Amino acid sequence: MRWLLVLAMLPMPVAGQYTLYTCTVTSKGYVVGAKLPPSGIFLKSAAGPWRHAGFNLPFLSALDYDPRDPSTVYVAAGNGLLRVSNRGEQWKILTGSDVTELLDVSVDPNAPGTIYFSHTAGIQVSHDAGATWSDASSSLHRKYTAAIRVDRRRSGVLVAGNEEGIFRSEDGGNRWRLAGAAGIQVLHLEQSPHDPCYWLAATEGGGLFASSDCGVTFESNGNLGVGRNLYDIAFDPSSPNRIAVAGWGPGVAITEDRGKTWQLRNSGLPAPTVWSVAFDPASPGRIYASVHEEALYVSNDNGLTWAKDGLEGSAVFRMKFVPEAPQR
Amino acid sequence: MTRRMWMWLCAGMPLSRPLGAGTPEFDRRVRSVIDAYAHPKGSGPLGYANIAAKLWLHEDLALCSRSLEELLAAGPTGDMFWMFPITAIAYLDKGQLSASARQALRSSFRTYMPYRGDTENHWLLYYTSLYLMAQMWPGQDGGQWYTGKSSEENLREAAGWIESWVRLTTRRGQGEYDSPHYMGLYFLSMSYLAEWAKDPAMKKRAAMMLDYLIADYAAENLDGIYVGAHSRVYDRPVLEKWLNVSSDFGWVLFGLGRPMDPPDSYIIFYLLASAYEPPEILKRIATDRSQPYTHYERKRTRNRWRFFDDLHGPVYKTTYVRHEYAVSSDQGGALQPIQEHSWDVTWNVPDPRGVENTLFTLHPYSSLVELETYFTFPADIGISGVVSSKKSYDSPDKFVGGSPFEKIFQDRDSVIVLYDIPPGTRFPHINGFFSKDLVDLREDPSGWIFATGGDAYIACRPLQPYSWMPIEGGGKRLFSPYLKNGIVVQVASRSEFTGRDVFQRAILALDLEFHLEPVPSVRFRSLNGRTMTFTYGEIPQVEGTPLAYDRWPLFGGPFVEAAVDSEQLILKWGKMRRTLDFRKLTMTDTP
Repeated sequence: MRWLLVLAMLPMPVAGQYTLYTCTVTSKGYVVGAKLPPSGIFLKSAAGPWRHAGFNLPFLSALDYDPRDPSTVYVAAGNGLLRVSNRGEQWKILTGSDVTELLDVSVDPNAPGTIYFSHTAGIQVSHDAGATWSDASSSLHRKYTAAIRVDRRRSGVLVAGNEEGIFRSEDGGNRWRLAGAAGIQVLHLEQSPHDPCYWLAATEGGGLFASSDCGVTFESNGNLGVGRNLYDIAFDPSSPNRIAVAGWGPGVAITEDRGKTWQLRNSGLPAPTVWSVAFDPASPGRIYASVHEEALYVSNDNGLTWAKDGLEGSAVFRMKFVPEAPQR
Repeated sequence: MTRRMWMWLCAGMPLSRPLGAGTPEFDRRVRSVIDAYAHPKGSGPLGYANIAAKLWLHEDLALCSRSLEELLAAGPTGDMFWMFPITAIAYLDKGQLSASARQALRSSFRTYMPYRGDTENHWLLYYTSLYLMAQMWPGQDGGQWYTGKSSEENLREAAGWIESWVRLTTRRGQGEYDSPHYMGLYFLSMSYLAEWAKDPAMKKRAAMMLDYLIADYAAENLDGIYVGAHSRVYDRPVLEKWLNVSSDFGWVLFGLGRPMDPPDSYIIFYLLASAYEPPEILKRIATDRSQPYTHYERKRTRNRWRFFDDLHGPVYKTTYVRHEYAVSSDQGGALQPIQEHSWDVTWNVPDPRGVENTLFTLHPYSSLVELETYFTFPADIGISGVVSSKKSYDSPDKFVGGSPFEKIFQDRDSVIVLYDIPPGTRFPHINGFFSKDLVDLREDPSGWIFATGGDAYIACRPLQPYSWMPIEGGGKRLFSPYLKNGIVVQVASRSEFTGRDVFQRAILALDLEFHLEPVPSVRFRSLNGRTMTFTYGEIPQVEGTPLAYDRWPLFGGPFVEAAVDSEQLILKWGKMRRTLDFRKLTMTDTP
């Protein structure tokens, strides 16, 4: 029994192998008109090196995968929604000329083939794995939507962030209701993997907003990032109260008490200009951070110390660990 | 009747400008540009434009194949700016390239994914090229295309967007309107489709759009120079206007002005495709400056993704043109990001090379809000990202860019420009460009500044104190660090007065009242004898009648006419008429 208690207190690695996918542009020193250094999707499996997969296309904003078929990822890109399969090598643009400059993508884990993406002029949804699309933002006043997430508890429950705040829909995007951060540009949203009713939203200038009522309402989480821009949020899969936030100014900030207090963890990073953070689900304590036009950095002690991990000169706007086999 | 009105009526000027004595005919102008690219000076490697020109001339075919393979082996770059040259090469090939070069070209559309871009010209280049390449290689599955879509899917998507662009343009105007630089990309895209599209409707639509686009330029050119206002123009050519792509098109299409040396690459691709020679009516419109005229256009803003309820806002243009000069403006505001040019005076010169034949003012606006309105890049790299390619964007002494704090009112050759810049705004001053090529600039104790540009007499009345700053390369910058500000400008032809002193006395005799608080406001009785009333933020009035923005035509004036939403355009010169109807895809000429 005592051993069980000790085990319960230790961070638990999430079973299975993962590949880290990144949306990367290698832009340091780049001059408009010159040939762009390899950019696009770089990926790395557990023990492997970085590999540039597929096309040299820098305009990638976000990615997601279908947990039932994680070999296929969906990428929000300048050219549209990309379906990227065969470990990054096979690409297809699933959308047409009616949408441009996609900003975020979210796959509904409870509805096979249902994909939402946000873009410059709203939100679109497909219920047939990208064969056809329809608008899911007609009732939103302003359309530019930087963030979209599907509530993993129930199909059709959505949380989105646009220039007027955080909005929630319970009917797949037909009707939206303001949930918080009114008048503030929302840049990113995440739902806790441990508590599906706990959400965080990162904003432009307004700091973090949190919801403890399943995304129905969001309130300011404090001063972290206020006056600066926060671009990413990562929940540690192995520790319910540990969350990381990335931004310009704060750099990497980590909480161990689910947002009550935050510590800046930038010692060893070249600059507090961080686009994205991600916890490695297979290695408790390991976290990645992308520093603008410097490199991807890795820490094995939850951000207390950092070391370069490749992708030098890059800006990794978003990264995600994708399981190598379907999750059950 | 005022003296100047009488002089207009009595003016006995030639109906249209004949070609200059040394100007070659159209075919020879075309050939000279193609020769310039086929036989470039120097011994460097051939570029895509050189290869395309040589293929057109059927020469050096082995070199063309080898050069093309080398370029493609190095890896395509440039996205849609790579697509359009390579598409021309594919169509000019006609069996001349080696099999391996042709295969390399084909493979590149499988292995290279161009970015579709974020700008109107990007999309038109992208979809024009994709359309033509999908047409060239039909029946191929998605595995053969970077899009992952079949030839038919690519063709359908591209055709759909091109048709929607034509529809929007002929209903609400271009978003990237009247750019003396980017105009070349629209011209060449339509030239490609008019020449190489197999679908008769697409071919016809493109041919008609060539007339449409050329007319848009023809009515607002002064001896080949595209007069303002512009959606986009670059730092140097906004001053030395000859340095714009419009100079190449003015010379090739109409024999006007002087081409750049060498001509810009946009014109070569226009010529290698259709080399469309404008009809007589367009030549007349482009060259007839026998009578002064006012030309109106309605355009639209670029896509406004944020901060506005409407994706496109209206742009109301007024352009006054006569042989000696032109005055042109939009209504002011941040209608376009970064490179907007909202108003100017342009005077005619016999040889524009090296001449800065323009005068204008602006508020040097630099703001993340502006960038976020039109672009999607993250806030923290917004301004720095723009400055990496548009160097002057965040400079206090810049000469391009619109401002939300600038409002403009033009009536014929009189302009009132008002500024109400909020405290705390970055760069809280206005700049005025006073060219090195202005003659006899005098500051009158009354507050008026007088100068002569070519045969244009120009009078400017800044509403606040100012100082002069030197400009590298010549000329001087009017610098006025007052938030509530403005300038009144009146232009006249030398031919209307017996001398500059007479002009000055006429200006000083005009009624001018203004105040700056609570907002700038001007009442000005112009040389035309019309009273202009303009208060910042309010609708301007002429003779007490508010401007009818709600009835502003898509095109209006003596040469070009179109109603908003009509999808029609009527070209007019004398008794000649050409009517373009894009709904029916018909073109009717009378007589």
